[in-house]
Amino acid sequence: MFEQYQVDGLFDEMFAAPGDPRPHYAALAAKLRSLGPAAFGRRVRMADVTLRNQGITFTVYNDERGIEKVWPFDLVPRIVPAQEWAVIERGLIQRITALNLFCRDIYHEERILKQKVIPPELIYGAKMFRREMSHVNVSRDIYIHICGTDLVRDKSGQYFVLEDNGRTPSGVSYVMENRAVMKRVFPNLFGTYRVRAIEDYPYNLLQCLKYVAPRHASDPSIAVLTPGVYNSAYFEHSFLARQMGVELVEGRDLVVDNSFVYMRTTGGLRRVDVIYRRVDDDFLDPLCFRPDSGLGVAGLMNAYRMGNLALVNAVGTGVSDDKAIYPFVPDMIKFYLGQDAILPNVQTYICARDNDRKYVLEHLHEMVVKSTNESGGYGMLIGHQASHAEREEFAAKIQNDPRNFIAQPVVELSQCPSLVDDHFEGRRVDLRPYILYGEKVIVMPGGLTRVALRKGSLVVNSSQGGGSKDTWVLEEDIPSAPPPRPESSILL
Amino acid sequence: MTQIALFNPPKFHPHRPARPMMARDADSMYWMSRYVERAEHIARLLLINSNLLVDVGDLALNIQQREWQSVLGSLRVDSATIPPGDGALGMRVASYLAFDPENPSSLLCCLTRARENARGIRENISLEMWESLNTLYWSISADEARTHFEESPDDFYRQVIAGSMLFQGLTDQTLSHDQGWLFIQLGKFLERVEVTCRIIEHKFNVLPTEDPRQEGALRTIHWMAVLRCCCSIEAYRRHHVGDMDPMRVASFLILERNFPRSVRYGVGKAHDAIAAIRNEVNPLAIDPAERVLGRLDAQLEYAELSEMLVDGIPTYLQKIQTQLAEVAVAMQNSYFQH
Repeated sequence: MFEQYQVDGLFDEMFAAPGDPRPHYAALAAKLRSLGPAAFGRRVRMADVTLRNQGITFTVYNDERGIEKVWPFDLVPRIVPAQEWAVIERGLIQRITALNLFCRDIYHEERILKQKVIPPELIYGAKMFRREMSHVNVSRDIYIHICGTDLVRDKSGQYFVLEDNGRTPSGVSYVMENRAVMKRVFPNLFGTYRVRAIEDYPYNLLQCLKYVAPRHASDPSIAVLTPGVYNSAYFEHSFLARQMGVELVEGRDLVVDNSFVYMRTTGGLRRVDVIYRRVDDDFLDPLCFRPDSGLGVAGLMNAYRMGNLALVNAVGTGVSDDKAIYPFVPDMIKFYLGQDAILPNVQTYICARDNDRKYVLEHLHEMVVKSTNESGGYGMLIGHQASHAEREEFAAKIQNDPRNFIAQPVVELSQCPSLVDDHFEGRRVDLRPYILYGEKVIVMPGGLTRVALRKGSLVVNSSQGGGSKDTWVLEEDIPSAPPPRPESSILL
Repeated sequence: MTQIALFNPPKFHPHRPARPMMARDADSMYWMSRYVERAEHIARLLLINSNLLVDVGDLALNIQQREWQSVLGSLRVDSATIPPGDGALGMRVASYLAFDPENPSSLLCCLTRARENARGIRENISLEMWESLNTLYWSISADEARTHFEESPDDFYRQVIAGSMLFQGLTDQTLSHDQGWLFIQLGKFLERVEVTCRIIEHKFNVLPTEDPRQEGALRTIHWMAVLRCCCSIEAYRRHHVGDMDPMRVASFLILERNFPRSVRYGVGKAHDAIAAIRNEVNPLAIDPAERVLGRLDAQLEYAELSEMLVDGIPTYLQKIQTQLAEVAVAMQNSYFQH
C-alpha cells in the first residue's frame, strides 16, 4: 500500500524518507501495512455509513447536487508528539492573550495606535472594525472567547500561523465526531497509542460561557444562536447546543424588551443571559448593523451595551483576524506581553503599502493573494496554479482596492498519507486547534486537521472539496530510537 | 469516626422545575411526530391494499380503480394528480405515493419533512431518535431505494413501518417525558385518529355500492383489510370472536377503550397530553384546544351505537374530523405563536 508512496520533497508527516516512518508513526504504518487495501476499504465504508446515518453533514453553497453533504473523512490519523504539542500550546495561549488585550485596547485607550506600533488607518479602515463598540465594556474584558488558529508546516517542518479566526471559528464538532468514528472503526489503535482525550471540550466551553454571564444571573440561561438549518455549519451549532444541554435559538425566537433579551417559549417569554452566537456581527441586530438582516434580533446590541447580555465572541473581534492586521500580531505580542512570538507568522505583504504592492504585482505567479475579509477559501488566488487571465484579473482587483488584499509566498504545506483507490498518496494538510479563553485558557489537545483531497491542491477548506482527519496529540513521547542494546552485559 | 467529611457540598436543587420549551421547538416536535406517523400509515395502506388486490384476483378494472380511490381518499390525495403512464394502475399509484417529490403526501415528502423538523431540534431529541429517523430517511431517499421498491414493494413498505415503530419506541424510551415528549404524543395521536377516521369513512363510501359478488367471502376480505390498515385484526378477532361485519368493525375502531389504534384511545391520549402541557404552562385555565379535545373525549366515552347511526358512520366521522381541525388551530394559537 505504501510501495509507490512519494514524499516529493515536501515535509511528510508520516515518513522521514520513503519506507522509513517517523518513530511516532511506526506503529500506525505497520498496522496500515498489515491491513491491506480490502480491509482498509471496508473500514472506510463503515465510517461513511456511520457518518451518513448520524447526519454528520455540512452544507455547500452553489452546489447543484443538493445542499447537504456527508462530511468527507480521511481515516489515516495525524499524530502530534507531546513535545511538539507543548510548544504549539504555549504559542497559542500567548497569541490569544495578546489578541484579547489588543481588542480591549483598540476599543478603549488605543495605546497601540498612539505609540505607532500599528498604523491607525489599518484599524479604522478594517471592514470588521466596529465603531459601535468603542468604550463599551464587555464582561470580564474578554473579547475572543473561542479562537481557531490555522497552523501550517513548511518544507522544513516548522509550524507557522497562517491565520487567526477570532470571529466564529467552526469545525470543532467535526473534530469530536472524527474521534468518535475513529474509535468505532479502529478501536485497537487507541490501545497502541496514548491519545489525549478531547471529549471535555463542550464542558469547557460551557464553563467559559457561564464565566462571562452578567452579574444578575446566578443560574444563567444560555443559548446558541444559529442562522438556521440552511447554514453551512448548522450541524455544529446543533451539536454544541446538544452537548452543552443549552437552547439552540434562531433570531426569530428572540425578542428584546426593556433592554433584556427573551426567548419565546410555549409558556411565554423567558430571559436569556448569554448567547454563543454563530451569526456574524453584520447580521446580529438590524437596528445597529445591516438593516435588511432577518437573522438577528432588533435591539440586541442595546441589551449588550447595557451589560444585560453577554455575547460570545464579543462584537468587533473581526478586526483582530483581518488579514491586513495579521502581520502585526508578533508586534502585539511584544507590545502587550513583552515576549517574542513562539509561533512565527508566514511572511506577508500588505498591498496597501506601495512597496509591498509593487513587489506583489511583479511576483504574482509565486504568491498566494487573499482578500482580507473573506474566509473559507473564497476570494483567493494561488499564483502558480492560476491562469494568466486569472492573474491579470486579480492584479486589476488589487490596484482598485489595495486595502482589501494581502499576499504571501506560497507555503508548500506538509503532507500526510490518504487512501486513493487502493494505495496511499500524500495529501496536503493544515491544523486548526481551538482555544477557549474563560477563567483560564484551555487549548483543545489536537484540533481539526484538514486535508486537500485533490493531488497537489493547497486548498483544504471543506467548502472547496477538502476532507479532514482525526488529530492525535500523544500523552508522552515515544523514544525516538530503541534504547541501545546493553552489549556490555553479554561480556559480563 | 463514621462521619464523612463533606466539605463544600454541591449546591443545586434536585427537583428543578422543568425547563420551558421554545415555541418553535414545540412546533417542530409536533410536526416531526405527525409526519413520521403519516408515513407509517401511507406505507401500511399501500402494503395492505396491494395484498388485497392480489387476494381478490382479477377484479374488473373499475373495482380496482375504486379500491385505489378509497386509498387515495384516505390520504386526501386527488386522483387527478396521478401522473398518466402505461404501467398498471396499482404500480402507478404506489410509486406516486411512495416517491413522487411533487406529491406533498408521498412517503418521501413526509419523511423528508419529518427529518427536516428533527434536524431543527436535534438538541431537543435523543441521538437514538435522530439516528433512527435519519437512517429511515436515507433508506428511502438513497439511490438504491427505487430498486429496492421495484424488486419487493412489500419489503420496502415493511421497512418504513418498522422504521416508524422503532422511532416511536426510541422516543418513549430515550426522551424525557416532559413537554417535548407530550407534543410528540399529541402529534402522533392526532395524526393517527385522523387517518383512522378517513380510512373507515372512505371504506363505507366505497363498499355498500359493490356488486352482488361483494357478498360473503369478498366482503369479509375487504373488512379484514380495513382492520389490517389500522393494525387491528388480531385485537378485533379476540374482541368479537371472529364475527366480521361493518358496524362491529367500525364501532371497534372508533370506540374501543383499550386498543391503541382506536379513535377513542387516540383522542384520550391526545387529551391527556394537552392537559399535561397546559398544566405546565398555565395551571389555572383550560385553553381552547384542551376544551375541544376534552369534549370529544367525553363524547366518545359515552357514545351510543344509535347516535352513530343517525346520520350514518361517514357523517359521524366527518364531525370528529372537524373537531380535530379546531384543535389544530387552537394549538397553533396557544402554543406555537408567541
